[in-house]
Amino acid sequence: MKEIMAVVRMNKTNATKKALIDTGVAGFTAIKVLGRGKPVEDPVMIQERKQELLELAIDESIDADEAEKQVVSFLDGSRLFPRRLFTILAHDDDVPRIIEAITRANKTENNAGDGTIFVMPIADAIRVRTGETGEAAIW
Amino acid sequence: MLLIRAIVRPEKKDEVLSQLTKAGFPAATVVDVVGRGKQKGIRMGGVLYDEIPKILIMVAIHDEERENIIDVILKTARTGEDGTFGDGKIFITPLEEVYTISRGGRGL
Repeated sequence: MKEIMAVVRMNKTNATKKALIDTGVAGFTAIKVLGRGKPVEDPVMIQERKQELLELAIDESIDADEAEKQVVSFLDGSRLFPRRLFTILAHDDDVPRIIEAITRANKTENNAGDGTIFVMPIADAIRVRTGETGEAAIW
Repeated sequence: MLLIRAIVRPEKKDEVLSQLTKAGFPAATVVDVVGRGKQKGIRMGGVLYDEIPKILIMVAIHDEERENIIDVILKTARTGEDGTFGDGKIFITPLEEVYTISRGGRGL
């Protein structure tokens, strides 16, 4: 019996839910979280993203220095970004399938910020309605 | 690998996160939570407050970094000389596997 915790992009919530149903896992718990990952170290990628973000801010009403500061805070790893945390209980055999499905649903072209999946052992689970414990309580 | 879950005071969030970055733990997941501890909440003027707002910080680490990160959190999250009720707790759970989606592979 394993607990899978997956941090995914907010706009991938529906894709993740669909992927889980397609895998045969209907039950999950999801909460809104804030998170940050390993900072991106590739200077070319940072420069590209910075240019992209600065172009969004071109407007006379926005102070250039302030915009620059905001953009840098997005890229230097000090800012927390909104994400969705899925918690799924799974039988041992199903874990690779679920991880594969979540990965496929959440991979983007951005090369960073797609989230992380944690797998950890869980001692027991109890279904409140019937009192079933262990593997029978999952699904 | 281990998953560290630290519950800290909301006003300590920024300090703990920046100290964690300095200590080499830039990645974290942060959740707003409410809870109570051994003291059953706070009683003030006859009203019992048992849903006290806290911040839950989750960090995945390698086994050997354990002492280091606990040290950093204990040092920054504690208030007053000897600590105060409500400073929070740290839970440590084993992590079997970690996958980074953007890289598509295993590992922290």
